[in-house]
Amino acid sequence: MSKIAAYGRLFAAAGFAVVALAAPALAYDGTNCKEPGVCWEPKPNYPAKNEIKGSKYDPKHDPKEINKQSASIQAMEERNKKRADNFAKTGKFEYDVSKIGAK
Amino acid sequence: MINLRTSVSAFTLAATAAMGVAATGLPAFANDKLVELSKSEANWPMTGKNYSAQNYSTSKQINVDNVKDLKPAWAFSTGVLHGHEGTPLVIGDRMYVHTPFPNITFALDLKEPGKIEWMDKPKQAPTARAVACCDVVNRGLAYWPGDGKTPALILKTQLDGHIVALNAETGELAWKMENSDIKVGSTLTIAPYVIKDSVLVGSSGAELGVRGYVTAYDVKTGAQKWRAYATGPDEELLLAKDFNSANKHYGQFNLGTNKTWEGDAWKIGGGTNWGWYAYDPDTNLFYYGSGNPAPWNETMRPGDNKWTMTIWGRDIDTGEAKFGYQKTPHDEWDYAGVNVMMLSEQKDKEGKLRKLLTHPDRNGIVYTLDREDGTLISADKLDDTVNWVKQVDLKTGIPVRDPEFATRMDHKATEICPSAMGYHNQGHDSYDPEKQLFYMGINHICMDWEPFMLPYRAGQFFVGATLWMYPGPKGDRQNYEGLGQIKAYNAISGKYAWEKMERFAVWGGTLATAGDLVFYGTLDGFLKARNSKTGDLLWKYRLPSGVIGHPMTYTHDGTQYVAIYYGVGGWAGVGLVFDLTDPTAGLGAVGAFKNLQHYTQMGGGVQVFSLNGKNPYDDPNVGEWVGKAN
Repeated sequence: MSKIAAYGRLFAAAGFAVVALAAPALAYDGTNCKEPGVCWEPKPNYPAKNEIKGSKYDPKHDPKEINKQSASIQAMEERNKKRADNFAKTGKFEYDVSKIGAK
Repeated sequence: MINLRTSVSAFTLAATAAMGVAATGLPAFANDKLVELSKSEANWPMTGKNYSAQNYSTSKQINVDNVKDLKPAWAFSTGVLHGHEGTPLVIGDRMYVHTPFPNITFALDLKEPGKIEWMDKPKQAPTARAVACCDVVNRGLAYWPGDGKTPALILKTQLDGHIVALNAETGELAWKMENSDIKVGSTLTIAPYVIKDSVLVGSSGAELGVRGYVTAYDVKTGAQKWRAYATGPDEELLLAKDFNSANKHYGQFNLGTNKTWEGDAWKIGGGTNWGWYAYDPDTNLFYYGSGNPAPWNETMRPGDNKWTMTIWGRDIDTGEAKFGYQKTPHDEWDYAGVNVMMLSEQKDKEGKLRKLLTHPDRNGIVYTLDREDGTLISADKLDDTVNWVKQVDLKTGIPVRDPEFATRMDHKATEICPSAMGYHNQGHDSYDPEKQLFYMGINHICMDWEPFMLPYRAGQFFVGATLWMYPGPKGDRQNYEGLGQIKAYNAISGKYAWEKMERFAVWGGTLATAGDLVFYGTLDGFLKARNSKTGDLLWKYRLPSGVIGHPMTYTHDGTQYVAIYYGVGGWAGVGLVFDLTDPTAGLGAVGAFKNLQHYTQMGGGVQVFSLNGKNPYDDPNVGEWVGKAN
C-alpha cells in the first residue's frame, strides 16, 4: 500500500493543467439539493462536475481500463451459464468449460 | 476435498423427520427449514443465528450467576494464520469451521469434538492475496438444508472470487461458479447467505475501483438468477417500479449514472458489499449495505455517487429494490456502509409496533429504519465525538455535514472522527429482544487525511488518500490505547444503557444471551463476558491470539457451549500480520494499532467453553481407539 501511495504522489507531483474553477460557493454541508437525492455541490474553489474534465483534478480515466470490468463480468457470466446448463443436462458438474465444449 | 467420514449424520435424518416436511410430502423452501433450525438452541445455522441477525440465544444455562465457572471445554487449531472473522456454524452434531485464505472448510464432529469429518482445502491462485485490501479474511459459511432430492449443502466463498457449494455430509463439490475476477481487483470475503433456494453473494474490491454487485444463484444448480449493481443505470440497479415511493426525498430513478457521477466514473465507482445480510420472510425483502465509492479521493468523483453507501431492501425473488437510503452521499472518508443489519419488532415513540432494521454504520451513526418501506426512524451518534456530521435530518434523511472536517485535494484534514475504519466496522453485533438493547462493538479511532491523484488501472489499488489514525478523544494518544468501546443501545429512546472503554477496537462483534450476558472478543486476545444489564465485567479468558470474529453459542447433549474464533488480523491487524511499520501503511491502520504486537501474535482456531469445562471427553473412553488386542 505504501507503493501505491508513492505512485500517487509521483503522479500528483507531475502536475496537471489548471483551468478555470467554479466560483466560490458556500461551504458544502450537503443540504442544498437540486432535486431529491442530488445534493452534492463543489467546495469553494473546486470544479463543478462539468468542469472537472481538463482541470487540475481531472482523473483522466482511460475508457479501455474502465471497460475491463464489464467485459470480465460478461465473460464470467457466459462461462457460468455453460457450467450450470451442463450441470442441469448431465447431472454432473464440470468447472472446466473447455471440457464442456468438447462434449 | 478430503472425506474423513462417509456415514450420514444421525442428526440430519432425525431433523428431517422432526420437521415433518418430508413426512407431509409438501414442498418447503429452505428458509422454512432454516427458520426451524434457528429456533433450536442446538443449532447456529447462519452467521447471525437467525434471519433477523440478532446473534441472540435464549439459552441461560450459562448466566450472570455462574459465568465465573466458564472454562475451556475443547479447542481446534485451523492451522491457518491471519485474521479469522465471522463465526462457526453448528447444525446438530456437526460444527462447520472456515478459515481465511486459503479458505479451508472443516466439518467437525461434536460428539468427539475436534475430530474432522471432512475438510475442503481449495487450490487458489496466490495472486488473490495481492489484491485483498485488508488482510485475507473470510466472514463465514452458509447452510442450505436440502430438499430430499438435493442433499444439504455448505456454501462458501473463496478469496479468488469463487462461490462454491459442497455436500454438507461429505464435503464433495456440488458446483463452483465465478463471481469476482481478481484480475480486475475483485475478491470475495463475504459469507454467502441462503434464502429460499437462492444463495446470495456480494463482492469486494472497492479499494481497487470495483463496481459492486449482489448476485443470487440457484443453490441447487449454481445458475445465476439475478444480479443487482450498486451504481449504473436503473435496469442494472434492479429498481422496482415503486422504488422509494414511500420516501421520494431519498431520490428515485436515473440517479446511478451521470446525475450523481462524472462521466463513466460509476463504472469504477465501488459500492461493493462484503458485510452481512438479514431477511424478513414477511416482507420477502433482504437487507444489506453497499460500501464506499471509489476512489477515496473525493475530488476525483464529484457528485452524490448513488447508490454507494446505501441501505437496501430488495425482493429475494426478483432482486428488485423496494427502497434504498443513502447514508453518506458523496463519501469523503471511506465510511463503507456494509455493516450488520439487525431486525427487531418494537414499538416506536408513538407506541406503534413496527418492523425495524437497526444498522450501526461506519460513519458513526446508528440508523433505525422501518424495514417495510425504508422510512428513517432514528439516527443517533455512536459516540458524542463523531464530528464530520452535525446531525441527520430525519425528515430529509440528509446528514448535515460540518465543513471543517471535509476532505479535498491540496488539503490535509485533521482530527476527523471517526477514522476510515469507522466507529463500527465489520463486527456482527447482537440484539436482546427481552431487554430491547443492541450490544455494539465500537472503534474509537480518529484520523488525518490527505488525498492525492492517481490513475485508474484495472486490478490495481485505486485509493488516492494517505491516512494517519490514532485513538479518539477518549483514548490515550500517548500510548495508542483506548481504541475501542462496547455499548448497549436502545434504538427507540436513542439512549445508551451503558458503555465501556476497551484498549483496542472491538472489531468482531457481540453475542447476547438470555442469561443476561453479552460476550465479545478483543483484539488483544480475550473473550469477555459482561452483565448485559449493567455492563459489569464478569469473566474473561486469554486466547492464543487476538479476536476479530464474533462469538456464538450452542447446546449439545444438554450442555451449553460458547465458541469463538481466535486469529488476529483483518484491517485492524494488518500491520501485525504483514510486519508493516510505516504508520500510514495498511490504509492508516498500522499507526493506530502499532501497540497490538505487544499483546498478541498470529494464530488461528476455535476455542469452546462450557461451565467447568464440561465436554464429551470427560468420559475418557470417548474417542478412544479400541484394537483387537483389547
